[in-house]
Amino acid sequence: MDTDPDKIDKAFYTQLKQHYSTEEIVELGAFIGFNIGYHTWFGTLGFYPMFTPDGRLVDQEESARIYGDKPISHTKGAIQRAKEGKQNKTDGSLE
Amino acid sequence: MAIIEPVPLGELDKDKFQTRLELAQQLMVPDALFIQIMAHAPGYGEALFDAMYQSHAIGNVDHSLKEIIRIRLSTISKDSYFGTLRSKKAIDLGLTEARIEAGCGNFEIDKQFSNAEKWALTYAQLMYTEPTKVNTAFYNLGKTFYSEPEIMELGAFIAFHYGMQIFMRTLKMAL
Repeated sequence: MDTDPDKIDKAFYTQLKQHYSTEEIVELGAFIGFNIGYHTWFGTLGFYPMFTPDGRLVDQEESARIYGDKPISHTKGAIQRAKEGKQNKTDGSLE
Repeated sequence: MAIIEPVPLGELDKDKFQTRLELAQQLMVPDALFIQIMAHAPGYGEALFDAMYQSHAIGNVDHSLKEIIRIRLSTISKDSYFGTLRSKKAIDLGLTEARIEAGCGNFEIDKQFSNAEKWALTYAQLMYTEPTKVNTAFYNLGKTFYSEPEIMELGAFIAFHYGMQIFMRTLKMAL
């Protein structure tokens, strides 16, 4: 939908109907459209999540260090950086 | 045969949709067809209509400017359904097709638009074509024309309408 919308044609929807009800297809389509719109907008605002992958509340500066400026899997460094940040706070090395 | 058949008007849950259908009839963006499509997922249908209506018809930013932005966005999303709709409220406020066309064209050098309007139109244009240009400097310039709540109103409006346009585009719901 975001990168090659011409490919979402009648044949694509016909195939989708083999797996999902009309209600579910409308739900999926609206959900995807909504998220494409808002992800791009929020990307311009430079916000980062309030919480680390393990649920620790962090400020925007630390969150930026943990998550970086591009969407990544949490397993590709974010979990490790969150643990390091927690450890640094505990032993005072960042104080 | 449509890709997704609209729910017939007579089959819509009146408690959920009657007032929304009346609002759609008054504003015409979206029209009843959007409700009839989204009503397949009733919770979504109610919430999405409300968000679409409120983001367009309510707020501090000039409704006619948002109407031009919405139509310009449809030239990016290539959605003929939303691109064809026209707000009755904006028409009543005096918005003309000529001004819409100007807003969809080379507005940067068009003297009929103020610098604030040009910033808002650029915001919409860049968001889904060159989002990296919507940076701190761009927002700082925007703050010389609009309050932060107004910038949030504009950004949320642009994001929401663009998102719905790209979904409706795939359904090929041209009027």
